[in-house]
Amino acid sequence: MLETVPVEYYLVLSAAVFCIGLFGILTRTNALTFLMSVELMLNAANINLVAFAFYWSNLTGQVFVLFTMSLAAAEVAIGIGIILVLNRNFDDVDVTEAATLKW
Amino acid sequence: MELNNWLLLVPTGAFVLAALALFVIDSIDPDSTNGTLLSAVTTAGAVAAAMVSGGLLLSGAADPGVELFDGQLVVDGMSLIFTFIFGSVTALVALGSHDYIRELPHKAEYYLLVLLAATGMSLMASANSLAVVFVSLELASLPSYALVAYLKTNRGSVEAALKYFLIGALSSSILVYGISLVYASTGSLLLTDIAAEAGTAASDYPGVLGIGILMVAGGVAFKTASVPFHFWAPEAYEGAPAPVSAFLSSASKAAGFVVAFRVFVVAFPIGSVVASIDWVLLFQVLAVLTMTLGNFAAATQENVKRMLAYSSIGHAGYVLIGLAALTGVGGGTESIVLGAGMLHLLVYGFMNTGAFLFVALVERWEIGRTFEDYYGLAREAPIACVAMTVFMFSLAGLPVGGGFLSKYYLFAGAVGAGVWWLALIGAFNSVISLFYYSRVVKAMWIEEPSEPIEIERYPTALYAAIVIAAVVTVVLLPGLAVFDTAAFDAAAALL
Repeated sequence: MLETVPVEYYLVLSAAVFCIGLFGILTRTNALTFLMSVELMLNAANINLVAFAFYWSNLTGQVFVLFTMSLAAAEVAIGIGIILVLNRNFDDVDVTEAATLKW
Repeated sequence: MELNNWLLLVPTGAFVLAALALFVIDSIDPDSTNGTLLSAVTTAGAVAAAMVSGGLLLSGAADPGVELFDGQLVVDGMSLIFTFIFGSVTALVALGSHDYIRELPHKAEYYLLVLLAATGMSLMASANSLAVVFVSLELASLPSYALVAYLKTNRGSVEAALKYFLIGALSSSILVYGISLVYASTGSLLLTDIAAEAGTAASDYPGVLGIGILMVAGGVAFKTASVPFHFWAPEAYEGAPAPVSAFLSSASKAAGFVVAFRVFVVAFPIGSVVASIDWVLLFQVLAVLTMTLGNFAAATQENVKRMLAYSSIGHAGYVLIGLAALTGVGGGTESIVLGAGMLHLLVYGFMNTGAFLFVALVERWEIGRTFEDYYGLAREAPIACVAMTVFMFSLAGLPVGGGFLSKYYLFAGAVGAGVWWLALIGAFNSVISLFYYSRVVKAMWIEEPSEPIEIERYPTALYAAIVIAAVVTVVLLPGLAVFDTAAFDAAAALL
């Protein structure tokens, strides 16, 4: 029997990555940093999915990871577009600059 | 797959085909000068989707539900009801947008994004696995972000899109993480398989499953604009072009709810998962918070569009009763309250879309957005103001439109399920809502304008969309009888 890392460790790892991403979202005001933080959170989910695909010996999780990654890319593409028009209108990529509407 | 099964995908196919047709038109005529053609194709596709799904629903073709693609998609009564809603809302929005974006560039892209979002929503209605839920939810969300930013030189529109996108990206990553935890504890993404494993998972890994379900609820709360992920809604609806606000607040909200109904009722049966998380209690709390916050905030607004945005949050709270009243009192009562949630979203699809389209009409006339700007509007535009009055009173739950009946079913169902206090809070909130809805009516019909309003032209398509929405809202008062058995049966089939 091959020695493997216990599956709980992956949960801890992914929870840590998720929390780092969440921390980044809550503390940074730069829109691009925000996108990177979201990527971290998505990848935390990917770690879980791949680890538990191995644990449950089915491929569902691994296949779903491919979907998550491609959708994350699509989301970033839209996000960059919106940040671009943000920069054109407000001359900044700071998310706190855009505050003309009542919050 | 059999021919009959392909027939069940026709409503979704109609959205896709119309979108592809727009691609072709746009590639032949890249400047997209012919707004009428683009709007007509979009409206036709959406009407086709609504008619076919309505026909399939009433003919009982999807009773019992049919699973497609190895159970990844399911077409049943609930998915058809919601596809009917998406088709109707998309048709009204496409019709109304014709005049709203007449002078703006990139018309083909606008309609294309609306149709692609509608495709995503109709897939959400049929999604029978968490993988499909996520993919279709993103297909509905990504075009919506771009649509909100459609007026890309307008600061409000860009800011609204930024906030919508930031909260959306955050909540979708929370949703995926929740899905990964559910997969970690049950080993499957198919809703029926999760349900089969949920009991074991709830006793073996209560924490992992519980947090997973909580995070999935968070993802759903974003889509439905419920507490605690509601705060993007006023910004996005206020800054976005008004037809897009109509689309998001009616169709996108309904899409969030159909996912919530199916995922929570099918995949997380409360009897099995109650050991790890009591989501009925969670939704009871969220329903109370959402409707109270939405209605109180709406009552303090000076801007009509923003008032409608908060009222839309309030209505999300009413519909949440559909989930919050699943207290295990038995299939009969529970199917009535869940079915009432669907019916309310159906009526809401018309009355709320109409109300936002009226705001679009006023924006088009450049009259202004506050209550004061609406003073004396009825003298200049009586037909539109009659329609707006119908929307307002129907939203408040007065018996002038279908909103009265669907709200009555919801509250009666809640009382039947033993959560009478939810119905009481709901009724109390309806009274508050009557206050701010009637402010609009008073502003239009009674108040004197400070300076005379001048209206140069009356846009036909936008008028048509508003009048159609108003007529359907009124007709749905007696006409809800056509849908109510279908909705209750759909809910019963789900439970």
